[in-house]
Amino acid sequence: MIRSFLVRTGASVFLGLLVLCLSLEISGQGNGTDTDSRPAARPTVKQINEVDLLDLIKPKGKPLLINFWATWCVPCREEFPELVHIDDEYRGKIDFITITLDDVEELDRLVPQFLNEMKAQMPTYLLYTTKEDAAIGSVSGEWRGALPFTILYAPSGEAAYSRQGIININTVKAEIDKLLSPKQ
Amino acid sequence: MKRKSLLFIAIFSLFAFTISPVAAGNEFAVGSKLENFKMTGTDGKEHSFNDLKGKNGSVVIFLSAQCPVVKAYIERIDEIAAEYKAKGINFIGINSNHRDAESLEWVTSDAAENFKFPMLIDTNNVLADKLGATVTPEVYYFNADNVLLYHGSIDNDRSGRNIQERFLKSAFDATLAGEKIEKARTNAFGCTIKRVEKAAAGN
Repeated sequence: MIRSFLVRTGASVFLGLLVLCLSLEISGQGNGTDTDSRPAARPTVKQINEVDLLDLIKPKGKPLLINFWATWCVPCREEFPELVHIDDEYRGKIDFITITLDDVEELDRLVPQFLNEMKAQMPTYLLYTTKEDAAIGSVSGEWRGALPFTILYAPSGEAAYSRQGIININTVKAEIDKLLSPKQ
Repeated sequence: MKRKSLLFIAIFSLFAFTISPVAAGNEFAVGSKLENFKMTGTDGKEHSFNDLKGKNGSVVIFLSAQCPVVKAYIERIDEIAAEYKAKGINFIGINSNHRDAESLEWVTSDAAENFKFPMLIDTNNVLADKLGATVTPEVYYFNADNVLLYHGSIDNDRSGRNIQERFLKSAFDATLAGEKIEKARTNAFGCTIKRVEKAAAGN
């Protein structure tokens, strides 16, 4: 009787462990690829308004790079891999965020889908404002409302570089390097 | 997954603007006078700006056949154009995008389907460069003497869900009432005008 109980309990524990191991293995396969160790978790995108934007564009002790884009903007999509490279290279040294001007309906659809495809890790926000004119003006007098728009702020809050249109990655990196090594 | 990605890329290639170098030219300031110009329309005929303008002025509006922001504005643009045509202000659509981005056939059919005012083809972005236009939709409101009175966006909300400021209509109403335009310059938000390479254009 006792022997039978022990055998049944042992078999249950073994089966339980087997199921646990298999499920961990399956979930592990789903969370990565063979060639890339970046996590494939679905990126979260936070909706912001023009008041939040004013806070976001203030550097917090480091150079701050911001890219404004939208999923429907082909030049934005074209340059995005370069932005991911910049993020890879300067993570921890600068703060880098992207702000999409997609429709709010894309907050949980095309925007995270695109970021996922790009394997982008930069914090991303979706700006929805009824004061677009003021929002554009608050970012930079150089921004004429076209996308993409990229701006680099020095830690002091001064704009060190901005570009309406596709960036040249080497130019952006040189400008970041200047801010990181001001004596050179 | 690969097939999904390809489908995604294919869909977005429909909106292909390719590289869009933005004109770095000086902005055409409010108060500046625009000289008369001639341009071919989607009807195949040459039009003169002076012939198209209304007795109380005109609106030069840069448009695109594919831009999602323009599409969101079509109904509002047509409503305003109809309302103010009756008050002597005529709309003139301008398509300055590179023909690689938007074929003439596409622009012609889009104009016929969506807009009830003339659409002119700004080959080599001559007018866009002159005015410093960078996006679609972007509006320039001129008085009957071709002096720029307002430049920027149509209203404050491209989605149309929460319109609080109707910049263009306010400019019309102020001028027609003989009053000063409260906000003569706003930032237009939209799709980058896809310009021709200047070397290729011979500029």
